Amino acid sequence: MKSAVEPENDPRIVAAIDAALSSVGAAEPASGLQGRILMRLAAERMKMDAAPARFPLFGRSSGVPVRALGVLTCCLLAFVIVAGSVSHSRHIKAGQAVAPPVLVLPAQGIGAASAVHPAAPATAPLPAGQGARGRSVHRTGRARIAPHARKAPGVAVPAPSSNNSQN
Amino acid sequence: MSCFEGQLAGWVAPVHPTTVSEAQTIAGLVAEYSTALYRVAFSVTRNPAEAEDAVQETFLRVLRHESRLGEIRDYRVWLVRIVWNIVLDKKRRAKTRPEGEDLADHARALPSGDRPADASVISSQENARILALVDRLPAREREAILLSAVEELTTAEIAAALGTTESSIRSRIFRARKELALLLEKEGIPR
Repeated sequence: MKSAVEPENDPRIVAAIDAALSSVGAAEPASGLQGRILMRLAAERMKMDAAPARFPLFGRSSGVPVRALGVLTCCLLAFVIVAGSVSHSRHIKAGQAVAPPVLVLPAQGIGAASAVHPAAPATAPLPAGQGARGRSVHRTGRARIAPHARKAPGVAVPAPSSNNSQN
Repeated sequence: MSCFEGQLAGWVAPVHPTTVSEAQTIAGLVAEYSTALYRVAFSVTRNPAEAEDAVQETFLRVLRHESRLGEIRDYRVWLVRIVWNIVLDKKRRAKTRPEGEDLADHARALPSGDRPADASVISSQENARILALVDRLPAREREAILLSAVEELTTAEIAAALGTTESSIRSRIFRARKELALLLEKEGIPR
């Protein structure tokens, strides 16, 4: 037969829980705990006093906060990065510069609108099909590019099909 | 504080006159809170040596941050938080419950009474069994009930140490006791 008293109200259970908790909460340390702690603190203090300061120029005693060192380092690093970047962009060789698009102005006509725009050199078209081009579609619908896939240089021009030639 | 500890406190005092008061403050903290901190640590470790190590580590951290002592509003809560973090960190690193606890150690840690030794040992075993059930409680409830067991701590201090409200602590303790009672009823308690 089940007891009518809820377990948390059962005096035996409550007493057992209280006894277990008080065995932890009222635990007595071994005698001389304070003395041992103070001894260890004394040893640690002597070690701290004996150790040389790692940054004698910085720290509380010198008046220069350690954070200043960090800020200074960050500023210096930022300056080096910016200066290096600017210097690099100014030293690009002429041969490395990208050639501007060729624009042949006609003898007649108005300005660049009627200019001849030569097309980019034709390249072989990519093979048909996603898989053949090194691409495929995942079942989730997201495109996947194979690691070996390489984009062909220039602009792809479709090969003339046989239907067009017949027409 | 005994004469010996007073001398030690003087020894702790450094050469710099500006930190003499800080050293005295630390010695005062040791005298006032070391037992309470030991109990907090013991509630988690259930091992006297580990609990004492945790208390010593707590005061070493205090020593390393002695310049900030003036900023502390409530030393008791601050120290409890430090020792609590230390013991939880140790326990996390050990990745084990206090299964290796020695019952002899446990019995030694109990307050001495006028009960016979065998009764004390049986009681100690029973307490250890209940505390093992405490370890099966959810972390938040377990922490609240263990800290509530420490005599020196009020609900407000437990709430401050765990970074929550008093009402939350009360409800956690209530839930913990209820669940513990259910577990104990399932397991059966000796008459």
